[in-house]
Amino acid sequence: MTLPAQPSHDHDHDHDHDHPHPGVAKDEEPYSYYANLELAVRELLIEAGLITADEHRRQIEILDSRSPLLGAKVVARAWTDPDFKERLLKDGSAASEEMGITMYDGAHLIVHENTDKVHNMVVCTLCSCYPRPVLGLPPDWYKNKQYRARAVKEPRAVLKEFGTVLPDEVGIHVHDSNANMRYLILPLRPAGTEEMTEQELADLVTRDSMIGVTVVKSSLAQRNGSHV
Amino acid sequence: MSSTESLITHLPNDIGGRDADAINMEEHPMLPWEKRCHALLDVLATHQIVNTEEKRRGVEGLGSEIIGKLTYYERWIVSAVNVLLEKRILTPDQIANKTKEIAERKL
Repeated sequence: MTLPAQPSHDHDHDHDHDHPHPGVAKDEEPYSYYANLELAVRELLIEAGLITADEHRRQIEILDSRSPLLGAKVVARAWTDPDFKERLLKDGSAASEEMGITMYDGAHLIVHENTDKVHNMVVCTLCSCYPRPVLGLPPDWYKNKQYRARAVKEPRAVLKEFGTVLPDEVGIHVHDSNANMRYLILPLRPAGTEEMTEQELADLVTRDSMIGVTVVKSSLAQRNGSHV
Repeated sequence: MSSTESLITHLPNDIGGRDADAINMEEHPMLPWEKRCHALLDVLATHQIVNTEEKRRGVEGLGSEIIGKLTYYERWIVSAVNVLLEKRILTPDQIANKTKEIAERKL
């Protein structure tokens, strides 16, 4: 990532430490016009009484608390509880609310189930809409133009870059998200997991499988970086 | 298609279906200010001060040159500022004065 040029460091206040400190401000971040702009907007809106500092700090806590582990729990519940799965496919927002996961700003969670015949994957061609309450922040590749441009045009080639090669007879449905419709993929439950508990199943479910660019493997050993 | 036609039929964000390179799967860690920016935009959406769709449209309105040169969260905050100015929730003077004050505070 490229940050704007550092400000010139020609001010003449007293320093109680040795140079150099290359552009690092008191908050230990490089100078950024845009970081200052964010702070300016936030302070002005707080001063105007339109938002509060507490809300902003609380939202950072919420961002920190979200991760694909939440989505994995939803998937594992759906794999083990047919009634929950039915509710989840009917109304993803309401079913995930049962598990304490709340959507925001009018966004609806829509869940698509992978089957032997259909594989689903998610993209946001216009920007970066993503089911953040169940998956956390999107990976950079999801926001970059290569994935956004190509997913709707050549999904099999895109999947192959993620190491996912599906039989030709499996259809691929690509779901293009928007501000109001966020998609979560319910992956195929792998064979050989019939004896597993809900938690063991959740441990198998990866972020990328819920975006639909990979499939869930039956063995933890097949996962990179797994730790149990 | 004429040389300018695609500029009209496809706004800068509208890239679905275009040709593009192999997917770059490199991740960069989120910078602290980027997280603060994300949280701010979430709070603005909660209060419907700048909602998600307005933010997206605001990014689109930056035009292809700025979209191409700014990073993801840089686009977000500039979009939000423009929407706040359009709605007359903030004025250009307020922003100019506050950013100047912040820059001086940080020196």
